[in-house]
Amino acid sequence: MRANPEVLILEDDAETLDELQTHFTRKRFHPLGARSASRALSLLENNRYSSRPVLAIIDWDLGKAPDRSASSGDVLSRLARELRECPVIVYSQNIDAFNVRSQIQRSHPRALLHDKRDGDASLLERIDRMLDRTVGDLRIHDGTVVVHLPSLDQHHHREAIRLVVHHPDIVTFHSDTATKAVRRFGEWLHSHNSAVRLVSHGNRKYRLSVTASEGAAQPCDKA
Amino acid sequence: MGVTDAPWMLGVRAPDRGRAILVVTVDCELAVAVHDAVRGGMAIIRDARSEDADEITAACLPWPWMVIGSAVSLTPALASVLCHRPVLTFWLGDVPAGLPGHARCFDRPAALLDAVRGACAAQVGEMRLAPGSGVELDDGTLMRGAMLESLVAAYPHGFALPAQNFRAVSNALTRSHAGWCVQRDETGCVRLVSSQVGAGR
Repeated sequence: MRANPEVLILEDDAETLDELQTHFTRKRFHPLGARSASRALSLLENNRYSSRPVLAIIDWDLGKAPDRSASSGDVLSRLARELRECPVIVYSQNIDAFNVRSQIQRSHPRALLHDKRDGDASLLERIDRMLDRTVGDLRIHDGTVVVHLPSLDQHHHREAIRLVVHHPDIVTFHSDTATKAVRRFGEWLHSHNSAVRLVSHGNRKYRLSVTASEGAAQPCDKA
Repeated sequence: MGVTDAPWMLGVRAPDRGRAILVVTVDCELAVAVHDAVRGGMAIIRDARSEDADEITAACLPWPWMVIGSAVSLTPALASVLCHRPVLTFWLGDVPAGLPGHARCFDRPAALLDAVRGACAAQVGEMRLAPGSGVELDDGTLMRGAMLESLVAAYPHGFALPAQNFRAVSNALTRSHAGWCVQRDETGCVRLVSSQVGAGR
């Protein structure tokens, strides 16, 4: 049985939230949707030991949120402190404003920024570029498996998906269980003579590296 | 809006061992410009103000790889780190008291940003900065250590610090046969030198 990786979505507009949740469900991810920051914080707290999202999509402006006891900055700060391995996309109508960018990046220094004025389709396209990634001879399929393209063999662990989504960045893993899974993924890559190899940076930090002469990776989707 | 009511919880204050560029200014504009200048994944940008610079400095483990400042004076913890650790130090505008001798000062933001880009893309022989942390060789070998990252990024410049601070990185370079060693130059700075040049001295 495969556990579909979770995606945290904080969006105060019910219609947009529904659209995003439908999109991720169709892609076989499990969306954790919230219309308020306090609900998003609860979801993170409740899923703390069972799962950790592979991606978070955060609306910076929560003017329509049913509960304003917490802010999107609170959610970003929690993600930066406790889920460092989770890539975060923050979108706002005012993403060009210096003070908004600074507030977001002080809340979460690794957050990727997206301009809400480009429309929902642009956001979905960017998310798809991140999640349907090909790195060297590896490809994420259905959000749940990493496929070694030459052999079509599959690796099912979510931490493997996390590494591919993050490429070429370093991922800091949160537990010994996660790092064991990562090392098994590294052995799997080696046993398949993959063009991609696992690089350890110590302190539970890992990244993927593609052999220069082998299949080129897609351009990195980083702001 | 999204601003948190708990500034002590801000992610920018969270301890992390990744390569960090600490930007200390009175407003946010220079930090945003540095963020745009640095390729994603190479380093995280920590946007600090004078009032939280000490806490954020302490959160950069083992120390900030680079400190960029403008229009602020040095806080005690920041001054101590800059004077005792090999931190690339770039300053825009008026220079505050206490900057180390190896600090590079700039009149224009564009020149400073070029220097930041240059440091991130530094290549010394087969050594270049790996994404996030460490130094990568052409054969894919990863050498870890904040001192080596600083020396590679500063090349051909160096650090006005005691040579014994660099003993560990000097030994690591010898063991790895990288073809480079650490030496004090004529300006009093400790920097990387090709082993052939170093042996000839």
